[in-house]
Amino acid sequence: MGWFENLTGISTGDAVRAGAGVYLAERAYDRLGDIGEQARREASDIARQGLTQSEFRPFTVTTATGGMMGVGPEGGTTMAVSPQEQALQQQLMGGAGQFFGQAQMPTTAREQAVFERMRAAQRPEEERQRLALEERLAAQGRLGTSSAAYGGATPEQLAMATAQEEARNRAMLSAMQQAQAEQAQQAALGQQFLGAGYIPQQQLIAATQPGLTTAQLAQRGQLTGAGLFGEAEMSGLEALLSSGIGQANLFGQIGTGLLAGSGAFGDLDITDLF
Amino acid sequence: MAQELRSINLVAPAFKGINTEDSPLAQDPSFAEIADNAVIDKRGRIAARKGYDVVTTNKTVLGTASIRAIREFRDNAGNSKIFSVGNNKIISGTTTLADETPGSYTITADNWKMVDFNDSIYFFQRGYQPLVYSNASGAVETLSSVSGAAGVASTMYGNEVIAAYGRLWTADFTNNKSTVYWSDLLIGHDWSGGTSGSIDISKVWPDGYDEIVALAAHNGMLIIFGQHSIVVYQGAEAPATMSLMDTVAGVGCVDRDTVQHTGTDVIFLSHTGLRSFGRTIQEKSMPISTLSRTITKDIISLIQNESSFFRSVYSPEENFYLLTFVGQETTFCFDIRGALEDGSLRVTRWPGSVFTAYERLTDGTLYVGTTDGISEYKDYSDNGSSYRFKYFSPSLTFGDVSRLKILKKIKPTLVGANSATVFMKFAYDFGTSYRTTEFTVGNQQPAFFNVNEFGTNSSPLSEFTGGELTNQRSLNAVGSGTTVVVGLESDINGFALSLQEINLLALIGKTV
Repeated sequence: MGWFENLTGISTGDAVRAGAGVYLAERAYDRLGDIGEQARREASDIARQGLTQSEFRPFTVTTATGGMMGVGPEGGTTMAVSPQEQALQQQLMGGAGQFFGQAQMPTTAREQAVFERMRAAQRPEEERQRLALEERLAAQGRLGTSSAAYGGATPEQLAMATAQEEARNRAMLSAMQQAQAEQAQQAALGQQFLGAGYIPQQQLIAATQPGLTTAQLAQRGQLTGAGLFGEAEMSGLEALLSSGIGQANLFGQIGTGLLAGSGAFGDLDITDLF
Repeated sequence: MAQELRSINLVAPAFKGINTEDSPLAQDPSFAEIADNAVIDKRGRIAARKGYDVVTTNKTVLGTASIRAIREFRDNAGNSKIFSVGNNKIISGTTTLADETPGSYTITADNWKMVDFNDSIYFFQRGYQPLVYSNASGAVETLSSVSGAAGVASTMYGNEVIAAYGRLWTADFTNNKSTVYWSDLLIGHDWSGGTSGSIDISKVWPDGYDEIVALAAHNGMLIIFGQHSIVVYQGAEAPATMSLMDTVAGVGCVDRDTVQHTGTDVIFLSHTGLRSFGRTIQEKSMPISTLSRTITKDIISLIQNESSFFRSVYSPEENFYLLTFVGQETTFCFDIRGALEDGSLRVTRWPGSVFTAYERLTDGTLYVGTTDGISEYKDYSDNGSSYRFKYFSPSLTFGDVSRLKILKKIKPTLVGANSATVFMKFAYDFGTSYRTTEFTVGNQQPAFFNVNEFGTNSSPLSEFTGGELTNQRSLNAVGSGTTVVVGLESDINGFALSLQEINLLALIGKTV
């Protein structure tokens, strides 16, 4: 029996076995810690790679008429129509502005103008009828007739005056209706011009739809690849972790076995050491 | 050998009236050179006109002036009231003349024209607001004071007014001689409302310019008389649509008071004599005929020399149209029963006429106005004074101008002329120195049925009417000449006188 054994009451063999067992247990403990750290680090790398791989890629769509829509890295969209389309758009927009401006103008002046044109068309016939009536009345010797019952004139003169006044009133109402119709027409034209002014843009947007689809397909493949990459990487990492855990468990079992075989710790469970 | 007496029988001498236009030698013996104070009586003989009997007993209102116009107003109930004008007053009544002039209404002229219209009588004179009287108001009042009056303005203060086709029509204004105004239907005081109106015919005159003198309504037509032209409108029942029917250039009307309706015609005095519109319904044209062709020069002279005014009247009872030249105291009496071959009327003359107004009443009485007031055309003395009836034949040639005529006998046949002194006159060779022989018709009181036969209170009453008294005389004549004028004069003083015939017996002598 050696000093050690004398000193500790534990045989050297048991002591060596116990030491080896502790050592292996410690190695298993450390290894498990290293494996976890490695797994975290590897997963972070995989995530960074996945982020890089799934990152949005800018693209540009160019139409046949020269319009172009660009999508930036941040998702910002830039559209530009062709110079011809832009000129047309400006023309239409300008026209729309004019029409809307005209639609907002008071109709009084237009009513008067329409009324005057209608009266100008009516006056010659009215004058002919007036002259004919005058001749007729003169032939009948009635040119100077004035009757209170007929507004100080003859029945024929009153009838003609009434007819002319009715025509004048109809012309006035027609002029008002015409002016209002023209106002509505101006507004409608403004709307038409305004709508037409946006057609190049609408057509550009429409033309970018196939490009967007294509970009989505590419994005989808990219995302799929990134997913596959991540999954594959995570599978390797998981295998690595499994093997490390296995190794650690093996060290731990060996160390536990050694410790248990030495009897140095009595009924003490080896796991209580850790 | 004694020569045979040749007889010339002037039957109903002068029954064609006066003829001063044709040559005396060529004239029909039925004409007269002079027919003064004569009419054509009911048997076609020349006879003395009637005289006038003054009705007025109190003419204080009239003063020394004469009655200038008379009008009988009959309301719708048949009441009658006589209005007259004179001495710058509106007068009513016949026996006692009453002043009806509205208060504070000043009149300085008496040239009024009065018309009956729709239960009122209206007074119109140029430059004066019209007056109106109705039994409802009981007084003459200005037109503007009538309730509902409208449009009564100085522009319609016309000198001429007629009532026709349910309206009043007026014309001849102070400053407007070419416009005719008409009132509202049946409302004589509304001149601006309803169907009232006016017509300016200044562009219608056929001669370019004229001035309205008178108006007349006839057969749906409005006849507008200018001074020298006439314009006729048809359809005047609706004046707003009435139209020119005819125009006559060169013939106008002298004075509004010469226009008279005869029922079938309109008679008026033009500058060339009395004329009428002949009525032709089918042709709707109105040819003008001259009615005074036998005295054209005389009447023109009177028209030109007239400085006062004209008066006329149509009396169907007396069958005459009287035309008086008041300033010259001459009246022409046109017999309207028939026209001569040339269309003219038989005319006689009433010289010294004092008539200044006429009005035929609805009962046929003929009122005349004089300085004595209102008189009635009746009996055979001028308010108790005699007047001279004259007849002178044209120059008679007995069928041979070249041979000498030696009158032997003059045998007039007179009807009536009770107690009258008759002067038979004759002259030769256009001489003006008449030989006169006179005779007095016997005092033969005619007996009428149921009248005291021998004077008042005498007995018995007549059982039979004696009829007209006829007096035939045979007067000796002397002298000779190639032409002979025979005349008859007599002062009419109470009895009618008609000249039935004059029988002349003459020897036809040598050719000279």
